[in-house]
Amino acid sequence: MTSAWALGQRALREAMRTPEALLPTLFIPIFFLVVNTGQAAKIFPSASTSFLEGQGYGAFQLPTSLLLAASFGTTALFLVEDIEGGYFDKLRATPIPRTAIVLGRLIAELVKGLVIATALVLIALPFGISIASGPLGFVLLIALTALWSVVFAGFMQLIALKTRSAAATNSGSLIFFPLLFLTPNFVPRDLLTSPIEAAATLNPVTYLMEALRSLILEDFAWGRILPGFAVVAALGALMIWLNVRLIRQYD
Amino acid sequence: MDDGRQRAEKRREVGISLRSPAQNAGTENPASVGTTPAVHAEALVKHYRSRAGLVEAVRGVDLVVEAGEVFGFLGPNGAGKSTTVRMLTTLLSITSGTVRVAGTDVTREPDEARRRIGVALQEAGLDPRQTGRELLVLQGRLFGLATRDASARAEELLELVELQDAADRQIKSYSGGMKRRLDLASALVQEPDVLFLDEPTTGLDPASRLTVWEELRRINRLDTTVFLTTQYLEEADQLCDRLAIIDGGRIVRQGTPAQLKAELRDRQGLASDPTLDEVFLDATGRSRSRVAGDVQEVSA
Repeated sequence: MTSAWALGQRALREAMRTPEALLPTLFIPIFFLVVNTGQAAKIFPSASTSFLEGQGYGAFQLPTSLLLAASFGTTALFLVEDIEGGYFDKLRATPIPRTAIVLGRLIAELVKGLVIATALVLIALPFGISIASGPLGFVLLIALTALWSVVFAGFMQLIALKTRSAAATNSGSLIFFPLLFLTPNFVPRDLLTSPIEAAATLNPVTYLMEALRSLILEDFAWGRILPGFAVVAALGALMIWLNVRLIRQYD
Repeated sequence: MDDGRQRAEKRREVGISLRSPAQNAGTENPASVGTTPAVHAEALVKHYRSRAGLVEAVRGVDLVVEAGEVFGFLGPNGAGKSTTVRMLTTLLSITSGTVRVAGTDVTREPDEARRRIGVALQEAGLDPRQTGRELLVLQGRLFGLATRDASARAEELLELVELQDAADRQIKSYSGGMKRRLDLASALVQEPDVLFLDEPTTGLDPASRLTVWEELRRINRLDTTVFLTTQYLEEADQLCDRLAIIDGGRIVRQGTPAQLKAELRDRQGLASDPTLDEVFLDATGRSRSRVAGDVQEVSA
């Protein structure tokens, strides 16, 4: 873990020295939160919309913005730079476990995810959004969002390692749009039309979104929270395993 | 204690790496008399598939580099130099054959091999957003040094390659020569037994090239074996104790520069020693006119 942490610190320095890559991960989700809430808030007044649990529509939309913020995966573009510039080979020529090479960037992604998710929620709070599950729920909300950013960064790193191309890696991030929008992002799952409901049920991001939403709108409903954590645990383990496998086979 | 460990111990005993370049200038260490070759490759082969089909990049290379040598590995573009170096340094899988570096099998014990080698590849592998100091400290930590020791080692190396003044600037602001010197320093963090350098002076101006040559001589005086690929024959002539020329994935000549020149002189009945350029052209089946034509074609 010493090597992974050392590489994580390096990736964090890299992030701090490229604020232009970090700022969109905050501003674009805020933009979506404002626009989506502005467009649909009148359709779903809090007084007569039971699924809002007494809050405004912004609270229902916040998980979409959190997931969007956690799904940029810009770290993979830095990895492509490392590959193209030869620094990745320099790392491969050191006697550290290949897992450390993968975990280094993912640790940094976790830290960035925690900071960005915290900032986003804190920005949202003054606009009438509250976290119904309290301080512990707030911590779980931030943690779950940050863990998803690790999963998504792991996926993007797979594309970077496989293609070694910035253009292909950038295109890979587009997969998040079907993942994000084939979910109950505007209304709960039982209000979706049948085909979209079926797609949402198959989409793992749905369970993540429902867990985040539950933490915002309800007191601890573990039946909805735990599946979200199970999704990030399973996909996270899969991504790390696939990344390490690719690096071991890397020629 | 094996030869590599003895050399590392010796460097630590004499404290060479802690000294400034000026202090080191007069240090002459005796050549290593170790019995374990620094590099021993047998029947080394690399095949890979491309869109055009099977590429036989390296077709059975046998190499023995003795400890303490500066060994030059020459060849035209696409001859298999970099592919061979990448196999020797664990960065590329080996299709068949065996490689031992500093007595360690690179396929069976890659991490042990990595501890014993320093690598500076063609593309000065640096992270442009780190400072020179941060890069060297990180490299030290990746080789198992505690943060304080890694910082001290970074300071020594910055002094060695004369980059103290630029140590806290981001690498993206460095000139080409500074990047090469920093890359060299990062390859020396763990005091390697064998230093692999893939075209370390390509793209450098003559002054920077001379600086790198001087660094290499100094490093070699500390009993580090240097395995160097280059396209500059003058560089090979100046620096290398022995040379191998690879062409089409096979070694076509091997020996000291003097031996290679004498062999060509005797074979062609020349009145005086040929240059290393002429040895190279003879070994690779190229003529000056053909090479000139190739260059024109590439530059067009």
